[in-house]
Amino acid sequence: MSIPLVPKLLRAHLTELAENDKRIDERGQWDSRNLEIQHSVLPRAEGSAKVRIGDTIVYAGVKFQIMTPYEDRPNQGGLMCSAEVRPLAGRKYEPGPPSAESIELGRVVDRGIRESGCIDVDSLCIIPGEKAWQVILDLFAISDDGNLFDAFAIAGIVALKEAIIPAERFEVGEDSKLEVNGTPLMCSYHKVGGRFVYDASFREELGGDERIHITLGDNGNVHSLQKGLKGIFSADEFEEIMGHALERTKEIREIINSL
Amino acid sequence: MGGYGDVIMIDENGKRMDGRGPADLREISIETGVVPVADGSCRMIWGTNEAIVSVYGPMEAHPRKIQRQDSAVLAVEYNMAPFSTTDRMRPGFNRRSKEISKVTKDALESVVLLELYPRSKIQVNIEIISAEAGTRCVGLTAASVALADAGIPMTDLVVSVASGKINDIVVCDLNKEEDNYGEADLPMGILPNTGELVFLQMDGNLSQEEFKQAWDYNMDAASRVHEIMKKALIGGDGK
Repeated sequence: MSIPLVPKLLRAHLTELAENDKRIDERGQWDSRNLEIQHSVLPRAEGSAKVRIGDTIVYAGVKFQIMTPYEDRPNQGGLMCSAEVRPLAGRKYEPGPPSAESIELGRVVDRGIRESGCIDVDSLCIIPGEKAWQVILDLFAISDDGNLFDAFAIAGIVALKEAIIPAERFEVGEDSKLEVNGTPLMCSYHKVGGRFVYDASFREELGGDERIHITLGDNGNVHSLQKGLKGIFSADEFEEIMGHALERTKEIREIINSL
Repeated sequence: MGGYGDVIMIDENGKRMDGRGPADLREISIETGVVPVADGSCRMIWGTNEAIVSVYGPMEAHPRKIQRQDSAVLAVEYNMAPFSTTDRMRPGFNRRSKEISKVTKDALESVVLLELYPRSKIQVNIEIISAEAGTRCVGLTAASVALADAGIPMTDLVVSVASGKINDIVVCDLNKEEDNYGEADLPMGILPNTGELVFLQMDGNLSQEEFKQAWDYNMDAASRVHEIMKKALIGGDGK
């Protein structure tokens, strides 16, 4: 990509804005862009969602496959989560095998959902030791204007919550709803101009430093953390963003539960 | 072509399983500007097919060795999203997608005025979000709309439609069942203003008469689809 020079100028501009407690799109430090959530948007998926945060747009689709349970866990099914950011979503993405960034993206979202235990893998067993459901959550970016992480995490849990196990199509019983106990949600923070901001836009990501992702469960329990990119942060900074994440995940959870 | 002759897909009155007559198209809608970060984009819904296309460029061709001194390079990526099909589509290398990307690129290169942008690159990304039948046609048609939305000069739009044969009867715009159990499929890429072709494939078994009929169906359908494309680009949203 032909952008290495721009971030230097952008960084200077973002630092100047931060010193005056401003952001490049006039938001406050902890403000989110407009959030829209739609569900049941993909006719071929067993559960789906579309999330728009500002000009960032993503889809999540759930599919099921029948797997042989792992030998040491004969009564359990599986959950797989994969993220794809193809050239469709922005000029910086190249065709070819997934980049380290999009693998990180998928794995961080995966951990948040998996570790929250909201999918009961024991309930996915069909015949112990022989057949079990594998839930596959595919996250797919349409337009990247920053903060794909949060958009993917929201779309992912909304799609799972409405997924139907297509047992009839696989001739192993009757269709039933996938049990999802809980709504783990991620909040992401980027260091921009020397301070952390919530829900960074593409330009803030481009001219910013490290990022921190926090996934919290229904009761505020921490399910996954990830620090990405070069940068140093303090315990005080972390405490501040954790406080914001606690409030913000509650707000988003209310929106999802009212869908 | 599956060629299972015992599946009845059209009755004696010429009515198809989804209620269409032989020459009827599935329902089509087009919306432009659906990828806000792209230079041009469109969503095309055709039956239960859904394609999203984004266009980036003209931009610097990178790495330099792909640059052409006398024209732009056009790169086309056709891909099916993992949740676009009944059985999950595994991401990664796929011979079918490579071929469709190539023939789509060949078709679009025939209409885009690449010589206006030496040493640059125009990237066209076709993502099939939901697949029914005829995704290559939807992808190519939508790509030409997205290129127009990006303001890239072209000699014409490209309308791509397919006709085929089910139970020995030629019909236009095969749906999923008709495509699975039908006996032939003839997709064409047509320039609606001149009736010329930039894309042609066929597989199956058609007599000369049937072939002529399928060809004519495609030509007729192209002008109907063209109207919808024009409306999406110039009408409605005040562009």
